[in-house]
Parts: sequence; structure tokens; C-alpha cells
Amino acid sequence: MSRHRSAALGDRLRTSYQAELALLDRRSRRVAFAALAAALAAFPFLASAFQLDLANQVLLASIGAVAFMLLTGYAGQVSLGHAGLLAAGAFTTGILYKELDAPIWATLPASALVGAALGLVFGLPSLRLRGLYLAVSTLALHFIVIYAGMEYEARRSYSTGVVIDPPAIGGWTLASPLAWYFVLLGFAAAAVLVALNLLRSRTGRAWRAIRGREAVAEALGIHVPAAKLLAFLVSSVMTAVAGCLFAYYRGFVSSEAFTLYVTIQYAAMIIIGGMGSILGAVLGTIFVTLFPYFIEYLVATLPVPQSWVDSIYAVNYAAFGLVMILFLVLEPQGLVGLWRRAKQYFLLWPFKQRPLRASQ
Amino acid sequence: MQLAVNVLVLAAIYALISCGYVLIYRVSRVLSLAHGELMMLGAYGLYMTASLFSGEPVIAVLVSVALAFTIGLAVYAALMRHMTGEAVLTAVLATIALGIFVRGFVVLVWTAQEQHPARLLGIENTSFPVPGDARISLVGILLLAVTAAVYLGLYVFLRYTAWGIRMRATGQNPLLAAQRGIRLHGVYALAWGLATLTGGLAGMLISIDTALEQTLVLIGLKAFPAALVGGLDSLAGALLGSLIIATAEVLLIYYVNPLLADAVPFLVLTAMLMVRPWGLLGTREELDRV
Amino acid sequence: MKRLFAAAMLAGAFAGTALGEDAYVIGVTAGMTGPASGNFVPVIEPLRAYVEHLNTRGGIHGKPVRLIVLDDSAEPSKAAANVKRLINQDKVILLINSSLSSTYAPSVAEAKRAKVPLYYVGAVCPKETFPPADPLQFCSTAFGVTYDSQAAIGFIKSHAQGPVKLGLAAMAIPVARMGIDFAEKVASAQGFKVVDKEITPPPTPDYTPFATRLKDADPNWVFSWSPWVSQVRTFEALRRLGWGGRYLTWAHLNAEEELARIKDDGFYVIGSNAFFQDDLPIHAEIRAVAHRGNVNYPTTYLTEGFIGGLVLEQILKNTPWPPSPAKVLAAMNRVQVDLKGLRGGPLAWTKDNHFRTTQYYRVWHWDEKQGRIVRVEDWIPIQVK
Repeated sequence: MSRHRSAALGDRLRTSYQAELALLDRRSRRVAFAALAAALAAFPFLASAFQLDLANQVLLASIGAVAFMLLTGYAGQVSLGHAGLLAAGAFTTGILYKELDAPIWATLPASALVGAALGLVFGLPSLRLRGLYLAVSTLALHFIVIYAGMEYEARRSYSTGVVIDPPAIGGWTLASPLAWYFVLLGFAAAAVLVALNLLRSRTGRAWRAIRGREAVAEALGIHVPAAKLLAFLVSSVMTAVAGCLFAYYRGFVSSEAFTLYVTIQYAAMIIIGGMGSILGAVLGTIFVTLFPYFIEYLVATLPVPQSWVDSIYAVNYAAFGLVMILFLVLEPQGLVGLWRRAKQYFLLWPFKQRPLRASQ
Repeated sequence: MQLAVNVLVLAAIYALISCGYVLIYRVSRVLSLAHGELMMLGAYGLYMTASLFSGEPVIAVLVSVALAFTIGLAVYAALMRHMTGEAVLTAVLATIALGIFVRGFVVLVWTAQEQHPARLLGIENTSFPVPGDARISLVGILLLAVTAAVYLGLYVFLRYTAWGIRMRATGQNPLLAAQRGIRLHGVYALAWGLATLTGGLAGMLISIDTALEQTLVLIGLKAFPAALVGGLDSLAGALLGSLIIATAEVLLIYYVNPLLADAVPFLVLTAMLMVRPWGLLGTREELDRV
Repeated sequence: MKRLFAAAMLAGAFAGTALGEDAYVIGVTAGMTGPASGNFVPVIEPLRAYVEHLNTRGGIHGKPVRLIVLDDSAEPSKAAANVKRLINQDKVILLINSSLSSTYAPSVAEAKRAKVPLYYVGAVCPKETFPPADPLQFCSTAFGVTYDSQAAIGFIKSHAQGPVKLGLAAMAIPVARMGIDFAEKVASAQGFKVVDKEITPPPTPDYTPFATRLKDADPNWVFSWSPWVSQVRTFEALRRLGWGGRYLTWAHLNAEEELARIKDDGFYVIGSNAFFQDDLPIHAEIRAVAHRGNVNYPTTYLTEGFIGGLVLEQILKNTPWPPSPAKVLAAMNRVQVDLKGLRGGPLAWTKDNHFRTTQYYRVWHWDEKQGRIVRVEDWIPIQVK
């Protein structure tokens, strides 16, 4: 990591797609990237419908997770309003669709705008509050957004949620899981790219400084309030866009879909993935999204008590809690930490430790 | 008059729950979001002991209270001990993970069925007239009494006993406290034990009043704004916050719209956070302007 | 990102079942966890026990019935994922939903796409199952909120002495609000004075503040249609405040048990499933099936799920082997199930009525003098049009 960072600091501080390609500074990386791209492109043609749906869920969630990682993992601003922001994007889409019959090219930017506005509102408390109190103030905003959504549903008597038809772009309707896969892949890749580019720039460094210590960041000449608000803004826009896509992908919007548990799951994604790493956000998303299906599979194949099979849902809950606890206790660095350690093990073999930590 | 009684009973519920949040936060600066779940676990403890010692309500209650305390100690020893010194979000997330685990565990052990510990204990929840043409239920009286006893007990404990003073010292400055020979882990464990005990008591009383089921968790979360409005590190604040939130809730239900009840605590909380983020009686620390 | 691929392969490892299977495969998405699970687990458990029992008797047309139950925690997105999986991977011929109504929209969307019929058991019947019914949606759940309100107001009218001052109470969920609004209309048309309508948010630690407002409006009858918690807590809080009127409410799964717990003369429940105290032969059968299937819930809760089993068996009997969603749908559109006394009459679906043609109601209360539950009204029929 360190090697690539110092290389990237040279003349590659650009935010275009060309610059991203330059992220692949060695041949091995270029080969790996090509292999990954090929695998991602081939995947939907090999996967079953169920696996494709899972992949779509992962891609969709990874946008939100990357956004959350930027805000919490890099800028250090703890937020519990993530589900509220997703809901804001989804409801903007749903309401515009129902009331004005708006097409996707109108609802997507509108959701982003609402996200931006809410991001500023969510971010304002961060100028005064830190840590826990900040988290709680964003929690209050979460309840307000959900309350507004619920009132809309009740007033317009959409008791089972707002149903949205698949989006049409021109004459083409986005409905098949395969098409969704590539659309979502595009959005997820864009989210990762935006995040990586921001992090390599002045903004990203400012965020990291703030996370480290605000007073020092200020002494370094960083405009702390502006940087914080920007973090909220960027993260919220990305999350609201994810909410909009969520509404279209699921085909409906309902306030019950955005409980606090959703926020918890996103928090679990970035913690389990590993704080302060975009790769971690993606890994965590995969882990958390697939985990319940994995447990189901385990319970179905392993010899466990019959009562467990009958209440697989409870087993799922208990296991998810347990795994989260284990990660927090045993591997606070998350999956990325595991990955780095594994890499080190092979790099340094037969030694156990790096002789000098010079390059850092 | 009935409204006053309603306010007092609701405030007692909130206060009894929120003192758990305060105890843990004050001593270890960790916000426990598993409080609702631990409260439910305490109530299930009562259900268990009530079926074990049927016909002996006093023994059942005492054993279940001891059980709740032990659960708190165990939670600290097994989980939160490892979270000492971690970032805020990590510690909060650990409690959330614990909460999720407990929810699944409870369903695995006791199923999702609604239970009535009151029946097992042979308690009839009647009501008594109060001057001013009002009535209060037996559990309402119990709630008021227990809450008063708990707060009085905590006051005496924190003020006059050696362990209580150690706890306060740890809350003020853990490093200094450790250097003065206070065993931090012991103090933290005690805080978790007491918090789970008081939360468990609240869970038990609510489950006797109504029934024992999964929604108990959400009630635990509803009491959280009360603690925050009063100030997360002040017991007196928790009492005051509970009273404010309960008053706002009862009056709005009666005079305006019952539907507001759900949003009220969080609206009050948001207003509070804008004006005095550290709460009415909380300490103004770490909240310096940058 | 490479891990995505690895994980996908992992997913592949546990996806390879159930193709070309020699069984009737039925998919269920149910709210088995979460705050509402108490309503749905006691429906699914007897349903599962019934299917197990059915299989030990030799299945249907010599083929076993496989019931795949997935939990959705009453969350819409999980329900959507479940239904997708059941349709695409497990190739189910019939979907069953037993969850909160917020899961309906995604379930229906997926079911429509694949043209698989959707059957609600023990969950709120959506308005698409009432005439004129949606071609794909069916419901056997005991309650149908507007008809219930109609029957309830009718009961109050025939049993009230003197003018009625009616109080209404409901939980702040869409279906209950709809029902209570409808009851208000019917009651006003009957000449009742509606003194208060109390909507309580779920969940709340103390119902007394809500009950205080209701009591101060001074009704002599109160009707409540909601989840059981809200109904009974409001009643208990009213009694504790010294209210002396009569209270009529919906008989949910646990009504029989709860009437015996509450033991109050003025507490009436209206419902459409027979109580176990009748001790019909079918009740003995439910007991036996539940015992064999290790069902954890009290037997009195299980009628609803058992009816689901009876209906399912009848549908599959009318579906010739090899089954397909279209064949199941054809069977459902003309099904008539003998419920053996569990309800006032058989359950019959027609092409445009997927609820039932006639809904029958009974009313019970606890009789203090006799010290037992007494039926005060026997099978009032209401035509469903």
C-alpha cells in the first residue's frame, strides 16, 4: 500500500478515469485488475438467478458502504443517520414517481440534491458535536426522515409501501437482473473511483487529518468546518443515490425498509471490513450481505439440533451478533487486517517481522 | 390529577431504564445500545425463576435480580473488557452486536411467544384510588417505589461507600484512578452489573405490568433520549430528563395528538442537542468548540 | 474485489439444490423474527407440522410436499430477496406470505413477474383478495377488517341497552387505522355517538396516558381492532382507571387463553375461528399433529395455521402431477375446503373472490358467574361481495 501511495503522490493527482488507470502502477496490478474486470464481466453469465440477485445486493450495498466509510472511516465523523439518508433518496424517488410520474433521469439527480441538502443538515451538528453526541444527533435526524416518510405513506394511504415501476431510459426498460448487474456495477465502480480519487487529493488528506486530531488539522491550515461539511455532503449524496437505485431495484419504497438495523448493518460492514480502507468497505459489504445465506447453508448441512433448524432466523441473529463481537475483539482491523497479515506472512517468509519500518 | 399520576409513572419507567445508560457512560464513557436487550434478558430471567420457584415470588424476584447483576458482570468480563480504550464507534458497535446476539438467543431459548410472569408469580395488578379522582395501578406504585429506592441507593452508594467513590474517581479520570491503585476492570464490571440490574428491574416490572415480549427492546431505546436530555453522565439529570420527556409525552397525548408520542422524545432531544448538547445537568467536557 | 468472486463461488456451493425435484415445492416467506414474530410463528409452526403429517400419510398423489420457510423479519427487502430466491432457485409452484403487510408489495411484484400464485396465511388479507380479486392473490386469514368492523358494530347494536356512546381504539398501523375509520363510519350510520378515536403508536411502555383520554370521553362501549397487545393493554389500562363500560375487540390467535387470563365480564371478543373449548374432533386432530410436530405454542393458538394446512392440502389434491404454477392457480380458483367446524362454513374461493364468499362471526366473553368462557353470539353470517 505504502509503495503505491508514494508513487501516486507524484504526478498523478488527477481525478479523471485516466488517473484511476494510473493507479495500477505495476504490471502485476494491471494483470490483476484485468483479471478482476474479466471475472466481473463474466460472472453474471455463469451465475444462477439467485447468485445474480445476491451479487446485485452486494453491489447496491457497496455504494452505501463506501459512502459510510468516507464519512466515518476516513473523516472520523460518526453517523447513525445512514438508513435515514438511504430512505431520503428512496422516498424522493418514490414521491416524485407517484406524484409527478417523473422518469429516472429526473429522480436520480433529485435524490442526489435531497441527499446534498440533508447532508448539510446532518453535518451541521458536527461543527459543534463530536463522537457520541454527534452520533445521537444524526440518530434524531434519522427518526425525523422516517417519520416524514411514514406520514407520506399514511396520508396517501400507501399502506403496503409505494410501488415503483422499473425505470425506462428512452425506449429501454431496466428490468432484467442481468441489466441491473451491469448498471449497479457501473455505479459501484464509480463510487469506488470517486472515493479513491478524493482520498488521494487534498480533501482526503484533510479528512484524515481531522480524524487524527482536529486541533492539529486546524493548525495545518485546514478549514475544519468546511472539510467536515464536505465529508457529510459527499457521503450523503452517494448514499441518497444508492437509496434511489434501491427504490428502483426493489420496485417499492416503504418506511419499514429503513430501520435502525440497516444503519447497524452498514456500520458492521465497515467495521468488519476494516476501518479506513475502501477495500475494507467492499469486503465488509460482501461479508455482511452474504453472511445470513451462509449461516442458512451451514445449518442446513451440519448436524445441528432440530430446534435450530426450526428457528434458523434466531440462529442467524445470534450468529451475526457473535461474529461481529469476535471481529471487534479479535481483529479490530477487520477483513483488511486479515488480508494484510496474510500478505505480510507470505512476503516476509521465512521471517515473521519486517526488519525496518522505513517506507512508512 | 390523573395526568399527574400518568406523568409520574411514565417518568419512573424512563428513569429506571435510563439510569443504566448513565451508570455505564459515567464510569466508562461507553454508550450501551444493548440496554434494551439486557433489560429484556433480565425480564426473561424473572420468567425463568418464576417458573422454577412458583409460589415463592420473593425468592423468584431476588434470584432474578441477582441473575441480572451476574449477567452484567459476565457481559463486561466476556466482551466489554476488550473494548476498554477502543474508539467510541467500536465500543458502541460492540454493544449493538451484543444486542443482536441477545435477541437471537432469547428467541432460541424462550421462543417469540408472549409470556406473563405476573401470573406465574401470582401477582394481581389491581389499582388504587388516589386523591383527586385518579387511580394508580399496583405496578405503578411498585415502579415509583423501586425507582425511588434505586436512585436513593445509588446516591448513597456513589457518595459514601468506598466502591462508589472509586467509581466516581474512575469516571473523572481513569488514568489517575488506575495509578492510585483502583482496579479499573473491577469498577467497570461493577458499573455494568449495576446497570444491568437496574435495567433488568425495569424490564421485570414492565413485563409484570403488561407482558413479556420482544417489543421490550424498543421501549429500552425510547428511554434513551431521557438520559441524554438530562445529561449522559448525571443521575440527577436522568431523573430530570425522564420527568421532562414523560410530561411532554403525556400532555401531548392528552391535549394534542396521540400519534406524536413516538416522535416526542426525539424532538425534545433534537432541540436539546442544538442548545445544550451535553444535557441539562451533564458535564461540559470534550465538547469544546474547534 | 477478487473476494467477490470467491464469495460468489461460495454462494454457488450452497445453491445447488431442488432442481427437477420429485415433490410439490411450496415457498414461504414469514416474519419469524422481530417484534411482530409472535403473530406469525404460531401460524407457520402448525402449517409445517401439518405438512410433515401429510407426508407421513403418503403425501399428495404419492408425492411428498416440501415446504421451504424463509424468514423476512417482516422487512420488505428481505421478503423481496426471499421471494426471488424461492421463485428462481427453488422453482416453487405456490408462494405463501405470513408477514406484515409492508412485505406484500415486493412479494406481489415478484409473484406477478413469474406468474406464481400468492397465498396469505395468518396475515392481513390485502384488498386485492376481496372481490373483485387480483388473479394471483388469495387469503384464508380469519380477519377481514372492514367486515369485522361491520359485524362488531352490528353486535354492539343488538346487545346495547340504551344509546351507545362508542369509543374506538387502534394501533397506528395502516390496516388497523383503516378498519377503525370504517367502524366509525358504520357506527355513525347506526346512530351511535362516537365519542373518541384513539390511535396509539407501537410500542409504548405504558398505555395509561392513551386510556386516560379515552376514559375521559366517557364511552359505554369501546371497540378496538388492532394487534392483540394494543387491544388488551388499552383495555387493562382503562379498567385500572376505573372505567366500567364494555369492550369489544378482535379474537386473535391467543384470545381463548387471554380471556381466561383476564377474567372480565365486560371484555368481549369477536372472531371467526371456533374455540378449543368446543372440543370438536378436528381439535383433537390439531392437538395430535402439533404434538407430533413438536410445536412449541399452546394448542389454542394453532387453528389459523392448521386451516392453512387444510386449504393447502385441498389445493394440491386438485393439482394434477406434474404440478406447475398455472395448474395450482386453476385449482385455487375453484377450491372449496371443508373446515370441519373450525369456522362457520366451508372456505370457498371463486374467480373474483379470493377471500371467502361468506364470513361467519362468533362473540365470546368471560362469564364470572359460571367461571368460564361463554359464547354470546353464534355464527353471524356476512356476505362478502
